[in-house]
Amino acid sequence: MATAQQIRTAYIDYVLSNNEKPKSVYSFAKKLKITEADFYQFYSSFESIEKTIWFELTFETISKIKEQEVWLQYTSREKMLSFFYSYLENLKNDRSFVIYSLRNYQGKVATPSIWSGVKPIFENFAQEVIDEGLDTGELAERKFLTKRYKNALWVQFAFIVNFWINDDSDGFEKSDEAIEKGINVTFDLFQHSPIDNLIDYGKFLSRNGKFKEKMGF
Amino acid sequence: MDREQLNEDNATDIYKSLSELKGSALKIAQMLSMDKNIMPKSYVDKFTQSQYNAPPLSGPLIVKTFTKNFGKTPEQIFDTFNLKSSNAASIGQVHQATLNGKKLAVKIQYPGVGDSISSDLKLVKPFAFRLLGMSERELNIYIKEVEERLLEETDYELEVRRSIQFSEDCQNLDHVVFPKYYPELSGKRIITMDWLDGLHLKEFLKTNPSQELRNKIGQALWDFYNFQQHELRAVHADPHPGNFMITPNEDLGVIDFGCIKEMPNDFYYPFFSLISTDVINDKAKTIDAFRKLDMIHAEDTEEQVEFYYKSYREMISLFAKPYINKIFDFSKPEFFDQLYAYGEKISKMPEFKQARGVKHFIYVNRTNFGLYQILHELNATVNTDTYEPTLNR
Repeated sequence: MATAQQIRTAYIDYVLSNNEKPKSVYSFAKKLKITEADFYQFYSSFESIEKTIWFELTFETISKIKEQEVWLQYTSREKMLSFFYSYLENLKNDRSFVIYSLRNYQGKVATPSIWSGVKPIFENFAQEVIDEGLDTGELAERKFLTKRYKNALWVQFAFIVNFWINDDSDGFEKSDEAIEKGINVTFDLFQHSPIDNLIDYGKFLSRNGKFKEKMGF
Repeated sequence: MDREQLNEDNATDIYKSLSELKGSALKIAQMLSMDKNIMPKSYVDKFTQSQYNAPPLSGPLIVKTFTKNFGKTPEQIFDTFNLKSSNAASIGQVHQATLNGKKLAVKIQYPGVGDSISSDLKLVKPFAFRLLGMSERELNIYIKEVEERLLEETDYELEVRRSIQFSEDCQNLDHVVFPKYYPELSGKRIITMDWLDGLHLKEFLKTNPSQELRNKIGQALWDFYNFQQHELRAVHADPHPGNFMITPNEDLGVIDFGCIKEMPNDFYYPFFSLISTDVINDKAKTIDAFRKLDMIHAEDTEEQVEFYYKSYREMISLFAKPYINKIFDFSKPEFFDQLYAYGEKISKMPEFKQARGVKHFIYVNRTNFGLYQILHELNATVNTDTYEPTLNR
């Protein structure tokens, strides 16, 4: 009787050796000397194997960084940076698979279907980090926009991972730069900025109608 | 708007854009700022600012750099490690750590520095053409020299080896101290050394040190540089004030061996024979030396030879001034006014709009004029005959 782990290992081995999915679950199961039923007990399709792998890579990273001693001292910005540095480090062990998987499923949509499990846990994690930042005042609370902060981080997620699979620099140093610069810019936008004051001032002016009439607006 | 104001505005703009770049552009700014003799004063002031600030690396990136180098986080390696950097070091930043009761300085390099050097130099090039008024073709040999030194500076493994070598070679110099380096805690992007307590030059000067102490520190600086130039024939070529500390024992601490300029014989002999012998009083011999140093070209006309002979003779005489008597008072502004005036003068001369002089001049000038400048800020009087040029070996 095969385990989920064995099926997974055999699947990775297959796709990396052949650079494509097995023709069918039937042929794959036969090769593994298991029945199709055994396969379906754990996975509904080849895609679901890949989804699981992505999910676990992401889940592991989040649990691991939270165990670090420095985690509690980090600001929101640093927590997010820490996630991405650790994530790429984690993906490195499975780089060939990651590249295969993303290149095969990429196409029409910005978020490939194999990330359908990753997105909710990443966004959940991002929301946690953002909420902390809002509580401490590190990040600015903005009507309508605050809810979208996590979407901006998801865009960074997709960008950074795609940047990394194409990165050929020594020790993936350019990806480190992409993280440092990208996340810093994103968090700079989340912070209080002169734009907030400008909007606030605009609101004040529009509320004070008398002034508007006087000025002939 | 007068010319000084215009220079000031340009300098501010350039400083602003450079300070947003990390790494080599900042380094180049630092380097140009040392060449006070060719830079208008307002450029210099702004660039001097850039020696003191660069945006810091994030804590998580530091942790990542450690795990990449050692497979361990800083917490696992040291007893304590401060994730907030204590100061920037142009291509990296410095953190304080402790291990077994010892205070350590850990220098961490910004990622992608080596990679961005060439592209940064491209960015600085047009600015340099304008500033120096040279054509791209002529400037290239100098840019290459700078690029080589800068790339060496990004090699922290090389820096640790050199630091250990130079601190051993210089260990008998009076009042010059070096931190101990820890190769086992250093790597491609990280250097660990003892933390040197003390004051940077600017802070030191604010404490109103006695003339005696100024002279002592000045003498240590002079000895440090001239011992290297004339005994080791390789010199710490980054004499900006941030690389030195004045320790509580009133010694000079030297903390950065990233930039070393080696002086080959075909440069050393013609150049220092001009300075320490009476060659300069013999026109034919002087011209011969200038030819060896590429300051006079084979295709120059008689008139040109005469012109460059005179101009460079003036420069060499200025450079050699501290060597003429056994003792030199660097506090006198006249000497520096002469240097600036000379720099201003040649920067306006069309004859100097083409490149002259071998590439070694860049770092040798930078080192020596940088040294003179620091000694001037110290108002020090030093004995200049401690380590003299040695031409008989």
